[in-house]
Amino acid sequence: MTTSIQPNDVLAKAEALRNNLSTGFRDEIVKSMYSEAESIAHRAVKTASDKKYDFDQKIDRLVTSPITGLPIMLLLLAALIWLTVEGANVASDAIATVLFTLGDWGRTLFEYIHAPWWITGFVWDGIYRGLAWVISVMLPPMAIFFPAFTFLEDLGYLPRVAFNLDWMFKKAGAHGKQSLTMAMGFGCNAAGVVATRVIDSPRERLIAILTNNFVPCNGRFPTLIMLATVFVAAGFGGFTSSIIAAATVVGVVLIGVGFTFVMSWILSRTVLKGEASAFTLELPPYRRPNVSRILYTSLIDRTIFVLWRAMQTAAPAGAIIWILANVPVGTSNLAAVIAGWLNPFGVLLGLDGVILLSYIIAIPANEIVVPTMMMMYMGAGMMVDGPSTNEAIRSLLIGGHGWTMLTAINLMLFALLHNPCGTTIITIYKETKSLKWATLSVVITLGTAFLVTFLTATIARLLGWA
Amino acid sequence: MNLLYWSILVIALALILFLPRLGLLALYKNWRTAYEREQVEDALKHLLDREQSGRHASPESLGGTLDLSRANVTRLIESMETQGLVESRGAELHLTAEGERWALHVVRAHRLWERYLADEARMPLGQIHGEAHRREHSLTEAQLDALDAALGHPTRDPHGDFIPTREGSLPKAEGTPLTAWQADRPARIVHLEDEPAIAFEQILAAGLRLGQTIRILERTPQRLVLSDGENEYRLAPTVAANVTVAALPESELLKREAVPLVELAHAQKAEIVTLDEAVQGFTRRRFLDLGLTPGTLIYPELQNFFGDPRAYRVRGTLIALRKDQAAQIWVKPV
Repeated sequence: MTTSIQPNDVLAKAEALRNNLSTGFRDEIVKSMYSEAESIAHRAVKTASDKKYDFDQKIDRLVTSPITGLPIMLLLLAALIWLTVEGANVASDAIATVLFTLGDWGRTLFEYIHAPWWITGFVWDGIYRGLAWVISVMLPPMAIFFPAFTFLEDLGYLPRVAFNLDWMFKKAGAHGKQSLTMAMGFGCNAAGVVATRVIDSPRERLIAILTNNFVPCNGRFPTLIMLATVFVAAGFGGFTSSIIAAATVVGVVLIGVGFTFVMSWILSRTVLKGEASAFTLELPPYRRPNVSRILYTSLIDRTIFVLWRAMQTAAPAGAIIWILANVPVGTSNLAAVIAGWLNPFGVLLGLDGVILLSYIIAIPANEIVVPTMMMMYMGAGMMVDGPSTNEAIRSLLIGGHGWTMLTAINLMLFALLHNPCGTTIITIYKETKSLKWATLSVVITLGTAFLVTFLTATIARLLGWA
Repeated sequence: MNLLYWSILVIALALILFLPRLGLLALYKNWRTAYEREQVEDALKHLLDREQSGRHASPESLGGTLDLSRANVTRLIESMETQGLVESRGAELHLTAEGERWALHVVRAHRLWERYLADEARMPLGQIHGEAHRREHSLTEAQLDALDAALGHPTRDPHGDFIPTREGSLPKAEGTPLTAWQADRPARIVHLEDEPAIAFEQILAAGLRLGQTIRILERTPQRLVLSDGENEYRLAPTVAANVTVAALPESELLKREAVPLVELAHAQKAEIVTLDEAVQGFTRRRFLDLGLTPGTLIYPELQNFFGDPRAYRVRGTLIALRKDQAAQIWVKPV
């Protein structure tokens, strides 16, 4: 009769033998696995020529060289942003026309069945308008930016960017791959936060998450461009004015990148103290991009994902905006009263009450900040586009509501630095599974925004500029 | 009306004070229990530490280590005696079997935490002792086993101390204090004492680390001068007594002919000899996963315009490493 072996005997034996293992046995295991894999690969894979490999090396030298590397990188980023902003304008207008026409039909239908005016207003001028606005301004830029970004990713170029910029991030105590999540943030900060999954060290990943909001996303670019064109470049003619406007936007972006580094540096020396992690980055060979995969990952994984989260928050925001604008208080409405309360604080920051209130109710999506602001300045009952010409906008804001150059500049800074939008906050919470980090992301950004605008306003006033 | 306000106020106050689990009183009780447990566990560790070095603890040594007044030490010892953890024999304090079991549990928790904090959370070495000390009191036996398994059953903590096994066996520490090591004979650092913290900070600041191969160049009553072949290190003898060394193992002999990967010239081919002992946990796994195993051919191929990081060609792929990482991989030029 054979004695049977119990599972526990095996475990006990293993436990006893474990103590006799040499310290490097794990290395030996991996080594033997690799040599096994190597021998299989050797039998199965034939290497033809080194031509492709030499070509890869030439490109690598070009994109990582001190002279050509940096310009190539900046040119690609500029092209990416320009393509997104320009291309989106056309598509946004088309989508807006369709969606707002549908909304008008809906109103007509409600009026036809004699629904009370406040139901019609709440549903169509509130909820529906909020949704339609967010979709029409959010969808086109994302549908352009994400495929283009994914194209560069699939090509194999993006890891080279991380390779080029790693020394700067290392100085800030962060990970080189943060350059990629930062670039993704130009498309959408929520997508940038999700993209931090590529950073495998938890500490550096948190740094990347908490600082992602310091680069302006698609939703904030139109605000920056409008302010740069209407105010900063106002005194100049034709071509010069568009150069000045572009330079202003680039300057603001660079300030944002600067804040990313400063805040990463501060975080890695305070709440997220720790050793620099093992930085290992694979630079894959250049590949012909796979179109169907690009479209799938960029449109389904990124665009639809972000848009869906934004819609969930935009609908209630639309409702609240409508209520604020339509609940009468004396001769005025609720929005104007609250803006009046906020005004002293807003003025302290070089802004005003209307701007602060717009940022509070536009937490779900930065795209609706300007329409909400215009609604309040023009005394309209729902979100509206501003006046159609630059002169009209200037006379409305400067003449009618006491704006100065300081207001415009501080609004640009505030738009750059303020708290993440609702979608991004939810995403940070889902990615970190921690209320603490989600809260901190708001505290850090909002604190920076308040501090910076307060300082610029105070300095400008002391020097008599405003 | 007034009466109503007052009664609401009184009820609210009573709730804040006496609410089960959340009231101030309950919070204080929790804190008190945790504090007492911490004190008992710290006392047990001190006793174990003394017994391991062949001496026995006394109420005075206990009071000194825990920074307690005489009356408090007496109270602590009495309470531990009633719990059956210690026995007083004259002026000496002895651990009972139960006391020793518990003490080993705490030491195991402390050292496993240190391993985790150093390897997986990658905290600076100077901070892990304090952090582990805060965390060592909160784990159950089962949680410790899980941590042990997740870390791959490490045998030593990052300072080189043995970690007690689950069964409670703790091998005797090996090696010789650096102050007693014979000059000129190469030695390997096997242990860096982390207490007192000031001495440990000095050892770290001097640049010494676990697993390093060194040799004593000069020994005077004022200082010790060491060399690892490249740099010289100066230590006061009192600090050097906290460094324990032993004879070189075989793997170190291999390393002596090797250079760190970071020193290879552009396109200089080399063979990986070994990964540095100081690289453990997450980082080591990452290196091995990327195929940086002993015997592999590697050479620097691409340089960042600021010199750091560099990309190395290994097994047909291009892998970028920062200088700090490349300094931990030992290679032999071929």
